[in-house]
Amino acid sequence: MMDELIAGFGAALTFYNVSFIFMGVAIGYLVGALPGLGKGTATAVAIPITFYIEPLAAIAFLIGISKGSTAGSAVSAILMNTPGEPSSAPTAMAGYPLARAGKAQKALKMGLYASVIGDFVSTCVLILSAQSLADYALGIGPIELVAILAFSLTFIAALSGKSLVKGLIAGLFGILCSTVGTEIETSTERFTFGSFDLYEGLPLIPVAIGMLALSEMMVQIGDRRRLEAETDLLRGSGKPEDAYVTWEDWKKSARAIIRGTGVGIFIGILPGLGASTGSFLSYGMARRAAKDPDSFERDGAIEGVAATESADNAVVPASFVPLFALGIPGSVIAAILIGAFVIQGVTPGPLMFLEQAELMQGIYASMLAASLILLGIGYFGQNVFARIIKLSPSLVLSSVVFLCCLGSYLQGGGMFGLYVMAVFAVIGFFARKYDFGFVTFLIGFVIGDGFELALRQSIGLLKGTPEAMLDHPVAIVFWVLTIVGVLAILRRKKVSTESAN
Amino acid sequence: MPKADLIAGVFLMLGGLLLLFVIIPAQTEQDTGAAVPPDLLPQICAVGITILAAVLTLNALRGKTPDIKPPKASEWRALVAVVVIILAAVALFEHVHPAAAGFFVTLATMLYMEERRWYLLLALPGSLVAIVYLLFYEFLGTAIL
Repeated sequence: MMDELIAGFGAALTFYNVSFIFMGVAIGYLVGALPGLGKGTATAVAIPITFYIEPLAAIAFLIGISKGSTAGSAVSAILMNTPGEPSSAPTAMAGYPLARAGKAQKALKMGLYASVIGDFVSTCVLILSAQSLADYALGIGPIELVAILAFSLTFIAALSGKSLVKGLIAGLFGILCSTVGTEIETSTERFTFGSFDLYEGLPLIPVAIGMLALSEMMVQIGDRRRLEAETDLLRGSGKPEDAYVTWEDWKKSARAIIRGTGVGIFIGILPGLGASTGSFLSYGMARRAAKDPDSFERDGAIEGVAATESADNAVVPASFVPLFALGIPGSVIAAILIGAFVIQGVTPGPLMFLEQAELMQGIYASMLAASLILLGIGYFGQNVFARIIKLSPSLVLSSVVFLCCLGSYLQGGGMFGLYVMAVFAVIGFFARKYDFGFVTFLIGFVIGDGFELALRQSIGLLKGTPEAMLDHPVAIVFWVLTIVGVLAILRRKKVSTESAN
Repeated sequence: MPKADLIAGVFLMLGGLLLLFVIIPAQTEQDTGAAVPPDLLPQICAVGITILAAVLTLNALRGKTPDIKPPKASEWRALVAVVVIILAAVALFEHVHPAAAGFFVTLATMLYMEERRWYLLLALPGSLVAIVYLLFYEFLGTAIL
């Protein structure tokens, strides 16, 4: 294992590869710092560029973007009280009062250190656990796979939005969209409406860019008055006096970082829970552990920033565990990365460790390198990024719309990609406004093909005899978990609705 | 009564029925002789969507879903504006030049967002088009057309 990782470092630490990791982290950190632009948008828009670079550098570049943007979202949260992503909202609660008290530099630095620690430890957990899980996953057949995919999708639908029903509708719609094109077994057309462009199905990248990035831009452009007001607020923020993280700060924050990293890793491994759940949970635990919990929002709390950022950043590498081990995207970043893997000719899943062992070790080494590069870029670049986020929203959002069009054109077969992007941007706009879980849609769309194949094989294997299921205890366990999980979630939501009323 | 969920539920229910009885039969083949027909998964999805949409509608009628604020007028306008800008850019791409389309997308979005500083209106779209040209044609050595 160690020898393979060292060989991976040899492949990853070339000037070419490190340059792309560096660019990815820097772009990600900047985009994360810009209010309203999240890691999903940044990664989706960057995918087309990776088409032209080597596989390891391409994947390392995208992972660098996702790591950088997760950490960068703390900058606007602390300086502007505007989280770059929802998962940094607790950072704003504990960090913005510190910035107002002249301790912006201290809060930014602690946020960065906690981010790097959470991210690095989580990456180590990914390296140690994914292959063992993958070895086990190789023994899983189509009947088990159908049960696991149904479990994952239901879990994601239930937990990623406010409504299980809406989440499931979005997931089923995603699977339905994945059936467009030529059906593999019978070579017959489905939902092509006579268009040759649809024969190969809907292209993933324009769908992802439309659902994630362009629909977000529509909402942001429509809400530009608020964005401009927030940017103006930053222009008037105070000067930092307290610029360093002291030994006392470390003593205060050490427990919060350890706890936050653990929470982030646990939440990341479970499909669908997402970084927001991790960061809010960790923030809540740090708050409960404090002598004066109310002081977190009133005066700011360095341990609150540390707790949130360590958990937020630990979620990202941990969410790759189900992707690498089982081929199941547990988060929106993992779903987008599937597109990048496919472009590079790699199918995510347990076979990657056998067929692409060198690439996998290179990815691991690149992820560890990205953590260290993140520390350097964050430490030396925070002041620069803080100035850039003061740019007018009209410049930022118009550039993103341009990049969305470019990406969809390149990856969607020309003009067809632009049309697909526009259609799914409109669908994504309504999904966002009516809380229909666009994340669940995207994951349903990504796993749709595999789900259908496994379903076909399962029906063939079972030969119309349901009792044959008894020979597949793993599948039975996952079906039971799906039903019990749904019932528990519905019960919890009912209790919370009643208590809210 | 949560109106947004009610409208969404009814719309999706009708969409699901349309899928089941019109679109799926017209757009998939049923008699292929395969053990698993190609319309099986679409049928499962359509039935699921219709049933879940009916549940959503019932929940909304019984007031069991939280009320959701519909999009604001400014968001509706942004939705229409972005779609129109992209369609206009497509027309420019096909009839004028790809660079003109790229320039237009950025410029029109900036103008829609009330950016009026002329030097920025020229510099940003021009820079983006130039960067894309340099990146793809010079640095990566591949044409995008």
